[in-house]
Amino acid sequence: MDLLEYQVKEWFNKIGIPVLPSQRIDHPTDLKRLKIPYPIVLKSQVYANDRSQVGGVKIAETTIDAIAAAQSIFSLPIGGELPKVLLAESKYNAQEEFYLAVVLDTVISRPVLLGCRYIDWQSPGENMQYVVVEQEFSPFYARRLAYLMGLRGGLMQSVSDIVTKMYHLFLHKDLDLVEINPLGVSSSCQVMTLNGKIRVNERAINRHPDIADIASKIARDPGSKRINGMLVDMLGRNNQGEIGILANGTGSALTTWDAVVAAGGKPAVSLNLRHSWLNHTEPTKFSQRMETGLRVLAADRNIQVILINLLGTIPELSEVPRVMTDFMALQLEELRWFLNTSQKTLPQRLPKIVMRLAGNDFQVARKSLLSILQVQSENFILVENLDVAVKEAVSLTKSPVYRK
Amino acid sequence: MNLKPDSKVLIQGFSELISTTHIDQMKSYYGTNLVAGVDPGHGGIMAHNLPVFDLVEEVVSSFGTIDTTIISVHPYQVLDAALEAIAANISQIIIISPGVPPLDMVTLLRKTENHEILIVGPNSPGIIVPGKILLGIQPSEFYTPGNVSIVSRSSTLTYEVAWELTKSGLGQSISVSIGSDAIVGSSFSQWLQILDEDENTEAIVLVGQPGGESEEVAAKYISTAIDKPVVAYIAGRHAPPSKSWHHSGNFATVVKRDPDFGSVSTKLSTFSNAQIPVAQYPQQIPQLLIKAMKC
Repeated sequence: MDLLEYQVKEWFNKIGIPVLPSQRIDHPTDLKRLKIPYPIVLKSQVYANDRSQVGGVKIAETTIDAIAAAQSIFSLPIGGELPKVLLAESKYNAQEEFYLAVVLDTVISRPVLLGCRYIDWQSPGENMQYVVVEQEFSPFYARRLAYLMGLRGGLMQSVSDIVTKMYHLFLHKDLDLVEINPLGVSSSCQVMTLNGKIRVNERAINRHPDIADIASKIARDPGSKRINGMLVDMLGRNNQGEIGILANGTGSALTTWDAVVAAGGKPAVSLNLRHSWLNHTEPTKFSQRMETGLRVLAADRNIQVILINLLGTIPELSEVPRVMTDFMALQLEELRWFLNTSQKTLPQRLPKIVMRLAGNDFQVARKSLLSILQVQSENFILVENLDVAVKEAVSLTKSPVYRK
Repeated sequence: MNLKPDSKVLIQGFSELISTTHIDQMKSYYGTNLVAGVDPGHGGIMAHNLPVFDLVEEVVSSFGTIDTTIISVHPYQVLDAALEAIAANISQIIIISPGVPPLDMVTLLRKTENHEILIVGPNSPGIIVPGKILLGIQPSEFYTPGNVSIVSRSSTLTYEVAWELTKSGLGQSISVSIGSDAIVGSSFSQWLQILDEDENTEAIVLVGQPGGESEEVAAKYISTAIDKPVVAYIAGRHAPPSKSWHHSGNFATVVKRDPDFGSVSTKLSTFSNAQIPVAQYPQQIPQLLIKAMKC
């Protein structure tokens, strides 16, 4: 999960990483009560990169200019997203611009400090210096980076001091990435964060109350929810797809997707039920995830069949027949909450279910599900073999009832 | 790696992933020497037919040296549970809990890497030696004893592959899931080396998925260091690339801005360059294995 620039700068300011005087603007008229001197820079607060190329950043010399600029930025969607907030910031004249980052490298299982002067985005690896934080961090790692960047004297000290603070933030907030790009350096060798980026590790969100709070706000907001991909543990999204997949485990979810494609079907989305989703601030149970997953898929008008692939065992196995019975008896109106933002109307019918259960543990559940089968044989298919399940699901999407 | 059937095993924590069925399967069906559970605050009771203790050290003083612990606590408590096990001189740690914060894993690995401590997982269903020992929650019904080993990054997909082998009459010598979290304790390469030396293993199946670079590293390792035939299967060749692999925070993605990093296509081409046969779907693995074992 990414933070917006103004949130990043609030965090930086708290721990003493230099940021410019700035003010959060929720509405253009807020600029009448601006506390920072002109000229200012107004910046759209969106998750997309490259906002400056498309007009998301404007310089203003007067209040009138600023209000007009703010109005235009507020109505400019970037990457499909309208900003809810702008950041008004003092203008800064940088003599030089550096790149600094702390990133978790999952290949070597260590955090890495990155830094360079004159970043060339055509071949950014070339000038980039890096230091692997092999053992517990100590500021010498940051000094080593500054030294490698070719900095000496006061600038070496101030840059390594910033990197040290970035590392502490990275560690204490469980980040995947903290980046300053660029760090402005003035003619008097003063340093200043001009833009920053923070990516929070999604698995650690709930042990930080402040981050969990930001995450739950995003989860409640349909626009950013889509952009941050937070609703469910989703492995793919194909708007023309006809088959929704529920599986227990990433590998199974992907193999099921592949099998549907290989059989000539169109998968829409694959949900992994194995663990809690990112917007869950409370622990969830498997049965709840299965209930939500079924409803998320059913609310998608294009999805005609839900293919459930469960193998081995699942927690709360005895709940499965109830979850399925409840789902098959669902009123379409109950799906309204689960509608995707791009879709206003409810589907006309519930999707059909093809369920694959394999493993000794499922014997009892299988028996209870057979009773659903007796009344719902049109809409519910229960098999043991994945290949058979996939073929059934694909042939259902090709059956004349669903032809448009 | 001690996989002897009589080695002593402990369970730390009873999350939703580990059930009475799993514990029964380990104890009764497989005869794994599961001696106790540790669940702080619940010491003194019996849970899933196991005596429960508050501390790992109590288990050690009651039962003597413990060889392996299976950790199934809340992901945020995994680091603490592993450190407690290490303090009690347990040298094999299998972490079942998914979603351990990666920086906790970094802390753990800094402590274990230079000491003979083997970590499997997190987000791993564990290890099975069919017919001999089960350490974890792998469902044994999909397995049958034999000479093919499986090393995988998935959970349920590992069983899917095992079942395909069993149905084709190819029994298994050992199956291990290294775990599907972004940072895991032991790598494909470490396990490939163990399996290459394992005298019951004649051929190896590697099961991968998108995200990270462990399959690419493994492919290079196989072509230089592994003598036994290897067949790979990578899930997700038709799936659209996803931002949410939880593996994207990486030197390569930040510096090189490589959009193909961790993608299935990168992995497939690495295996193809290393001349390692890759199955398109799990059902194809047995025939590729038979072909590779004949050469």
